Amino acid sequence: MKDGALAIAMISDFFYPSVGGVENHIYMLSANLIRRGHKVIVITHSHPPDRVGVRWLLPSLKVYYIPFPTIASSATLPNYFTFLPYFRTIIVREHINLIHAHASLSSLGQEGILHSHFFGVRTVFTDHSLFGFEDAASILTNKLLAAALKNVDAVICVSHTGRENTVLRGQLFEPSEDDPSVSVMRQSVYTIPNALVAEQFTPSPQPRPSETINIVVISRLAYRKGIDLLVATAPRICAAFPNVKFIVGGDGPKLNDLLQVRERHLLQDRIELLGPIRHRDVRDVLIRGSIFLNTSLTESFGIAILEAACTGLYVVATRVGGVPEILPEDMISFANPDEDDVFRAISEAIHIVSQGKHDPLKAHERVKSFYDWMEVAERTEVVYNTVIRSDPIDFGTRVRRSMDLGPSAGVIYTTILIVDCLFFLLLEWWMPREDMDFVQAHWKTEVFSELAQETSRARRGQLRRFT
Amino acid sequence: MSSPSWKKVLWERQPYPDSFIPPESFLSALRRNPNFTPYTYWPLASLCCAITQHLGAVFTFLVVFVRLKERSLDARVVLWISVTLFMLGYLAWEVLNYANPVHGPSTRSKVFKSSLLVFLALMGLAPVLRTLTAATSSDSIWALSACLFLLNTLLADYSCMKPGSHTQERLTSVLSMNAAMSSSVVLASRLPDDLSVFSLILFAVQLFALFPILRHRFWGISTALQAFVTISISTLSLILTMSLSVSVCMVVIGIYVAVNFIAPGVLVWAQKYKNEIRGPWDVAVPRLNWT
Repeated sequence: MKDGALAIAMISDFFYPSVGGVENHIYMLSANLIRRGHKVIVITHSHPPDRVGVRWLLPSLKVYYIPFPTIASSATLPNYFTFLPYFRTIIVREHINLIHAHASLSSLGQEGILHSHFFGVRTVFTDHSLFGFEDAASILTNKLLAAALKNVDAVICVSHTGRENTVLRGQLFEPSEDDPSVSVMRQSVYTIPNALVAEQFTPSPQPRPSETINIVVISRLAYRKGIDLLVATAPRICAAFPNVKFIVGGDGPKLNDLLQVRERHLLQDRIELLGPIRHRDVRDVLIRGSIFLNTSLTESFGIAILEAACTGLYVVATRVGGVPEILPEDMISFANPDEDDVFRAISEAIHIVSQGKHDPLKAHERVKSFYDWMEVAERTEVVYNTVIRSDPIDFGTRVRRSMDLGPSAGVIYTTILIVDCLFFLLLEWWMPREDMDFVQAHWKTEVFSELAQETSRARRGQLRRFT
Repeated sequence: MSSPSWKKVLWERQPYPDSFIPPESFLSALRRNPNFTPYTYWPLASLCCAITQHLGAVFTFLVVFVRLKERSLDARVVLWISVTLFMLGYLAWEVLNYANPVHGPSTRSKVFKSSLLVFLALMGLAPVLRTLTAATSSDSIWALSACLFLLNTLLADYSCMKPGSHTQERLTSVLSMNAAMSSSVVLASRLPDDLSVFSLILFAVQLFALFPILRHRFWGISTALQAFVTISISTLSLILTMSLSVSVCMVVIGIYVAVNFIAPGVLVWAQKYKNEIRGPWDVAVPRLNWT
């Protein structure tokens, strides 16, 4: 490995084979860090029966699937200790310098942050989602997050709004040294957006016929995605603009509402329901339309909006969460989460598109220049280097910060911290490092490409023999 | 040379590091306690009257039970009190209905029929109920009935009904009534004769099934009426407990004062700790024209 290259472990409950925004983020970031010369491994929970043990993904990304059962939506139960034996072995075997935990609901990531100081390993955490402060679930998970983030070296958020949210949820501020009554923000909270692979979202090469305008909606059909707004405005738009059609992709609990409204207003030929869509088919659906509608009620980044804008669609979106930050004002029409305002914004978008004021190819080029995974990897690398250069947090500070959590949570978390230390000492005695099997062989890109070429040559030879 | 000012956008690389925190705009969209109207003391105290009334009913019932068990109160007196209470309550109900009618399924003949049915059924069941828990020790019965009354008090529906509105009865208030009735049944099974059992259960029906309905109707009428009902019930229960034991009476006074005067004060005081955080990350509430 070259100088300054790091060995990084990405830790999250959410990784392939399950599919989603966090999973894709981890994979793309890892792949680009590998291209920049770092060594990256991923630690996640197993997906029995077939995703267990250690796997390799191209390009040379090693994935450890830890045998933990999941409780709900692919998340494991937070128990703080059982991960340590696996974690210790992996970190020591792989000579890891830095761990990068993802997603605030991933208890695997939070445990990784708790254990890593035993190995001198530095910690970075990326938060992908927004949470409120009022319901019981939020209050509980926010406390767990605050506890985990007390001792993290750096935090990355995917949007400015997300950063404000994470700072409040994770209590990323400390009393100032000059004046203890004033809180100051930690200096190690970064905003680095997501990105997309622009080549996967190219606009349709031939221009669409302009007489009908298709409005595309691709979303999980759930309350949080604002499907009620879609259900309310779709018939009004169909009545006001006879040349407009809706194409709706996705599945979910609100599908029935959509089916009902379609039936009640006799719009079977105007509202097309495609059902669930695989991510690789998204572009094929997107290029059928010229306007993309997103009525979500909360959104931390809105990658679906970016994908649509990149495919050359004009976007209508509700002004929620981080959505106002991701595109310049001339590529998107904003609406308040209000039926009349959504109607107004869609009408405005229909006028813009029907007058030919929106050029899909130009839009694609612009989005391509805005977001790039390589740039994201570079910006993340800056965070890693800053963290590696900074002084580690000593044990006294850790205990003091944990005690700051609150009269009961502070004591609980400090106890966990101390018991974790004892457990670590037990493991050191029981499974000494000298007996461990260190990773010697690394992925060699030259050998792999040689083998790949050989295989393809052999296969071509076989084919020739058959024909 | 001045650098361009920081903008809250992600699509443009800005000449600031990623950890830059804009001093003015950071958390500028944060709002604390946006729709907050603080409680004031006296309205809260008057809302607590409903709880005091309920507690008064429970204590009155317990005293009547003890008296019946000790045979220092004639069961026939309780029976006549129950019947009178029912008449008075029904009269009040009719008057209230006349003043502002609530359309319900009850007509007078139906009320008469069902009350007669309950009366006769209880009379017929009294011997069965008297021996219901003969095989169970009294200690278990006291513990069980204490738990059930606690459950009844916790789950009872103390909400105030606006005059003219017709609210669906909630599950918890049904559970609460059932807890109170079960408790009265197990207590009644400790009584010595059938007539006491019958009169106690009839009394329980008045206090725990019918009185809450009337209390609901009383609500929007006037605060003075509310205060009058509360004071009369609590005084009655205090006088009755006083005749049994002074120390118990002191405890009951303490409970009334705590519920009706101290608890609202604590809530008013605790409001200064209220810190509701709102911001752009909250799930928006969609505004739709049809509702």
